[in-house]
Amino acid sequence: MFRLQLRNELWKLFGKKRTYIGFAMFLAAELAIVLIFRYNDSARHQLTAPGVEFASSLTCATIITLPVAFILLPLYLALVGGDLVAKEAEDGTLRMILARPISRVRLLGLKWLAGVLFAATQVVALGGFALLFAALWFPWQGMFIVVPGELMAVFDAATGLQRYLGAHLVMISKATTLISLAFMFSCFNIKPAAATILALSVIFTDHILRHIPYFADLKHWFITYHINVWQYVLTPSIPWWRLGESLSILLAFNITFLVVGVTVFQLRDIKS
Amino acid sequence: MIELQHVTKRFGGRLAVDDVSLRVPAGEIYGLLGHNGAGKSTVIGMMLGQVWPTRGHVRVSGFDIATQRRQALRNVGAIFETPAFYDYLSGWRNLQILSAYTAPTPPERLREVTDWVGLSARIRSKVRTYSHGMRARLAIAQALLPAPRLLILDEPGEGLDPEGIHEMRQTILRLHRELGLTLLLSSHLLGEVEQLCTRISVLNQGRLLFEGPLPQARAAGNWVRLRTASFPDTTRRLFEARLIIAAGDGHRVQLAPGVPADELVRRLVQWEVAVFEVAPEKQTLEQFYLNLMKQPSASPGPAAVAPGDPAGCLPPEPPPPEDGTPPL
Repeated sequence: MFRLQLRNELWKLFGKKRTYIGFAMFLAAELAIVLIFRYNDSARHQLTAPGVEFASSLTCATIITLPVAFILLPLYLALVGGDLVAKEAEDGTLRMILARPISRVRLLGLKWLAGVLFAATQVVALGGFALLFAALWFPWQGMFIVVPGELMAVFDAATGLQRYLGAHLVMISKATTLISLAFMFSCFNIKPAAATILALSVIFTDHILRHIPYFADLKHWFITYHINVWQYVLTPSIPWWRLGESLSILLAFNITFLVVGVTVFQLRDIKS
Repeated sequence: MIELQHVTKRFGGRLAVDDVSLRVPAGEIYGLLGHNGAGKSTVIGMMLGQVWPTRGHVRVSGFDIATQRRQALRNVGAIFETPAFYDYLSGWRNLQILSAYTAPTPPERLREVTDWVGLSARIRSKVRTYSHGMRARLAIAQALLPAPRLLILDEPGEGLDPEGIHEMRQTILRLHRELGLTLLLSSHLLGEVEQLCTRISVLNQGRLLFEGPLPQARAAGNWVRLRTASFPDTTRRLFEARLIIAAGDGHRVQLAPGVPADELVRRLVQWEVAVFEVAPEKQTLEQFYLNLMKQPSASPGPAAVAPGDPAGCLPPEPPPPEDGTPPL
């Protein structure tokens, strides 16, 4: 019964055109970045040192992934997460569902799980498209990755691929947290757009606060300090303790968002 | 099938439903009447566990809706004023999705129901291509899945054209006749309710003004058609004798509470009044409803009418006298 209901939630989610906006935009943005790298000499030369070719498919794919995961991923996850409950309430289908003998907690559990599966597919698409396009135009060689002030690493192709896949696996925790945040707001008696905007506002505000130099000592308290922990998988020596700490905190954030959302929804009157 | 016990609902400071108690017996077509904003949808919301009562208890199929939701709604179907569907999916997929919230439903049952509502030819089309009438039929189909015993319809005729309303009315009668369902429908279309319902309740500003069988509502008011040689003289004497409390239209009188029609006849014979016709008159539902709304209890304040009390349906004050007959 649970599987049947989850399948139905996925039908609903993936039956909507707007669900695919994120996939389409990943495709377009990543293709654009790869083509600029390929055909703009100035950009490509920055990946080249005398006698060493850094402009490999893995390097290029990772460079694409960083900004897309930073800006576009939260945007589309907030868009879909904000819709999960609020859109059904707005359209009136929620009333049709809640005329049936399903508990509100179970319904939200199904919707949240469907959202998490969507978030995972977004990460897979983000990493998959980037690697695919990069492989079409750049040679399969080692990975060179630099994020000024944060990260610098060189790997052979096999290790680079492992790290690339591992980073995307951990990135699912970021996607899950973002969609859980939007889902929480979606459970309130507000429009879907408002839920999306609130979720994005929280993330952007959190990011702004974290980057105020005077607040450096408080960085552990910000979500954005933890949701980008996937980048640590790309460092030469993975800081497992730091990774575990952030993943645990993200788990706590997810549980909190879910509990708040369920509580608010449980107390709500559902009216037309 | 449904029982509300002293149910009250407040939305912030606004009292939406005020101490309503009613019972919907099995096998009835039950009409929940009231103007827009009377509290009908809130009452239905509480019956379906979508709106939490501030006070009181709601039982559906013998189970408390707040604590035994699964059991209470297992055999319930519902249709709302504007049926909402996943327009980007087919009718068939919508039925699969919605019915799965109750129980897994085999495709044979889905086919049976789509045949029953006459939607088989278009069931694989996307709902966004459906006409208003087809959406109404799809709403009935989903409500019939998997196999309810009670159907709750919130303003089912709203937004339908006359043909659609006729079709909906015939469908409701079929559901009652062929499937033996108990139906509760809310409406402010008095004509519809009069043609369909066996029992009604009337809400006004969240308060229950009447609850009982439709014939009882029609008979309420105690009006008698009376034709005599001189209607003004006759009614004057009847007012003096405190046998009637109102007179109108030149041939209608309203008996005082507790005065039977035969008492009226006996007095007229005693007074040697030439009587050409005396007959108890049934009100239309519209007359009954409008009389009820004129009562002081129809405005905010203490309730004056106990559910099921036909005497409570009498207009408290006689209308202005006609034909020159002054009430005492």
